[in-house]
Amino acid sequence: MAKRIAIIEDEAAIRDNYAAAFKREGYNVDAFDAREPALNAFDSRLPDLVVIDVNLRDDIEGGFELCRELRARSADLPIIFLTARDSEFDAVSGLRLGADDYLTKDISLPHLMARIAALFRRLDAMQKPQAANSSIRRGDLAIDTERMTVHWRDQAVGLTLTEFWLVHVMARYPGHVKNRQQLMDAAQAVLDDNTITSHIKRIRRKFMAIDADFNAIETVYGMGYRWLSD
Amino acid sequence: MTLKRQLLLVSLLALLLPWAGCEFIRETESALRTGQQQMLAGTARALASTMATRGNDYPPGLDPSIDSLAGEQHYIHALAKPPTIDGYFDDWLLSPDSLRSMRGADGPIQMAMGSYGRMLYLYVDVRDRNVVYATAQTMILDDGPRYADRVSLVSLDPPEPEVQFVFAAEAPGAIISYRKDAFGFEPEPGISARWQDGPLGYRLEAQIPRNLLGRNLGLIIGNTSSESQRATRSSSYSGPSPAPAVALSKSLNAAVAELVQPGMRIIITDASGWRIAAGGELSAATTTGSPENGWSNRIYDLLVEGGEDAESAEPDPSGREQQPYVSAATSGREMAGWFRGEQSGRAIVAVAAPVGNDGEVLGALIVQQGTDAILSLTNEGLARLINLTLIVTLLVAGALIGYASWLSRRIRRLSIAAEDALLNETLHAALPSALAVDEIGDLSRSFSNVLRQLGDYNAYLRSLASKLSHELRTPLAIVTSSLENLEHEDLNAASAGYTARAREGADRLRRILSAMSEASRVEELMEHGDPESFDLRAVLQSTVAAYRDVYKDRKFEFETSLAEAKVTGSPELLIQMLDKLADNAVDFSDSGDTIKLRLEAEGNHLLLAVTNPGPPLPEKMRTQLFDSMVSVRGGENTRHLGLGLYVARLIAEGHGGSISAENVEGGVSFVIQLPAQDSR
Repeated sequence: MAKRIAIIEDEAAIRDNYAAAFKREGYNVDAFDAREPALNAFDSRLPDLVVIDVNLRDDIEGGFELCRELRARSADLPIIFLTARDSEFDAVSGLRLGADDYLTKDISLPHLMARIAALFRRLDAMQKPQAANSSIRRGDLAIDTERMTVHWRDQAVGLTLTEFWLVHVMARYPGHVKNRQQLMDAAQAVLDDNTITSHIKRIRRKFMAIDADFNAIETVYGMGYRWLSD
Repeated sequence: MTLKRQLLLVSLLALLLPWAGCEFIRETESALRTGQQQMLAGTARALASTMATRGNDYPPGLDPSIDSLAGEQHYIHALAKPPTIDGYFDDWLLSPDSLRSMRGADGPIQMAMGSYGRMLYLYVDVRDRNVVYATAQTMILDDGPRYADRVSLVSLDPPEPEVQFVFAAEAPGAIISYRKDAFGFEPEPGISARWQDGPLGYRLEAQIPRNLLGRNLGLIIGNTSSESQRATRSSSYSGPSPAPAVALSKSLNAAVAELVQPGMRIIITDASGWRIAAGGELSAATTTGSPENGWSNRIYDLLVEGGEDAESAEPDPSGREQQPYVSAATSGREMAGWFRGEQSGRAIVAVAAPVGNDGEVLGALIVQQGTDAILSLTNEGLARLINLTLIVTLLVAGALIGYASWLSRRIRRLSIAAEDALLNETLHAALPSALAVDEIGDLSRSFSNVLRQLGDYNAYLRSLASKLSHELRTPLAIVTSSLENLEHEDLNAASAGYTARAREGADRLRRILSAMSEASRVEELMEHGDPESFDLRAVLQSTVAAYRDVYKDRKFEFETSLAEAKVTGSPELLIQMLDKLADNAVDFSDSGDTIKLRLEAEGNHLLLAVTNPGPPLPEKMRTQLFDSMVSVRGGENTRHLGLGLYVARLIAEGHGGSISAENVEGGVSFVIQLPAQDSR
């Protein structure tokens, strides 16, 4: 059965373009231009994945509000923010509300599709028993590539999709410096220096929340980042 | 001309106040003096008319035809005690100035006459190179063939014939004098005289009973160099007979003594100015200024008009009063004089009034009164008023000058603060005098307004890029998503080409927008990032190594004398800043050029310089270079919006440092100053 994606976007042209793209990939699409009609529709049926714009016409923070309500209804519904707002503060706010990813509208359609596919793949993997061969271990780090989860010292680290991919690409070959291009390719996104810096900072913080002495990600100034494994 | 100087110049007008004060003092002084003079003149006139009734006591005026001979009259000084007849003048108790001088054959001849009781005293000092003593023969005859030095006193009481008393010496010492008249030549026993030789000549002193003498007196000195030489005669009068001698009038003196008041001196002269009566003393009481007023006395001394020397107001020792005001009175005109002591503070007001009957001037009456040199000081109230005026004037002048400098300081402070605000871009800072209610306060507030608007405008300009990129992002998303959808449609080769080109353009647009919003993302990162402590030297080494990889056609050199350079902040951002500078350096240099990085410590700062060979910066761009959307490049390179150096500046300033650019030998150097971390 085809997956159902809901897109809530006030800009008709973008909404239609994304809807067309999703349909082309074989998804069913529900498109809404505001929070209220979307919530009304979700009352009868929740979609499998939601793409939300933060700024919904006059409802400036409507996207965040919608995310909060959806997360209240379902803990594992994948939610992606797709917005023109690229400030660090908005990104942090969105992710704190339980979104799986926070993307700016710079992202290309293929990249967006890759993410959506990955999120559905993870959703499927969650429902199956854990496969033994899908896991990578690097010291205290355990990566489940199917479920796209990361554990540090056997505790789950809640990473977004982008963050997961970044950790994954670094940890696969410990000691190798990954430069910006490599990180961008892995994360299926166009990232500038500042965005990468922010991502790495957030990842470190999440690990440090479990282990205050975490220092496995090393900055190689001017080059990139590498995973240190002991 | 600065405002301060202008105000200073204007405040110089305040000096008119002390000037006016001085004028006031002078005016007052002059008015007071005039008052005193008028009062004294009144007294003088009254006394003069009293004295005029005693016309008989006045010696008859000289015949107007021989008026010019008044100077040849002999004055008979009133002596305080009878002198000893010894040939010396000391015991006459007169000033040497009392001696009358005339020209003699061998030098000046000095002579004086005095009276005491019924005696007339004569003193003659003759210069004589060769004193020729008389013999019995030459004693009597003085018209040849033999001669001697002799002094003759000529006495005349018209219309009686002339009598001469002849003094000649056979030897120095007491001598016998002879009376010579129409009847003959014989010794005069009533006269005692003494002849005294001196190194320069001889002196004669004689005592003669008044009753032997007439009213007109004269002296003839005969001088010869040897007995056989005819004597040269020097005469004290030029006419055929001597003029009347003048002496104090006893009756007038007595009258004056009755009239005189304490502190006042009265002198009466005859028509030629010879003193014939005098009385009274100037009191000494007014001659001293109180010590505590010493300084103000000196100031006033400089201010008020000076008079003639007080000494010249004293009775003339020669017996003849020749002050201009006396001369005026003897010619019938009343006149006042003002005499002022040099230091004593003593001054004399004098008035001379003519004494006369029916237009005939008998003489002059002089009234003198001692007073304070600075009259206005004697009036205590007035002195206080003047002092107060002076003090107030000085205070006002001082206050005006102080106010002027205060005003100009406020304006200068305002202008400096405004310039500082403009320079440091603290455009919202409060300016001085902002709360003042005067015009400077208004000016300050207008300045603040202008600066604030400028600041808002600058802030708007700075945020323009990120706002613009933000606004453009949605339409760009429409374009790119449409193009991406379009690529999945069936397109012919031409359409595919167009689409690809459109994608390319959209991609470039996206990169531009991303660069435009970079500044705001950097600001955000600095606001939220947690600063860490790191070694800038290590970071630089690693970064420079990376540049060598990225820019293969440039050489990179990194020099530092520091073993470690601890800095607090974000290494990523500093690298980003360095990226901008490296990018800039590469753009402005040629292939194969060497880009130098140098890290130095200066005080508690670190200086990081990135120097590249290349064209110098235009001087006027040097400070604007780091502003948003300012670029020195030509139009060719569209990739540059002039945001790179602005981002570099944001990062440097976010780390508490600064960035500047300067032209160096053959290139351009960008210098970042960063605070060094305390190495504790």
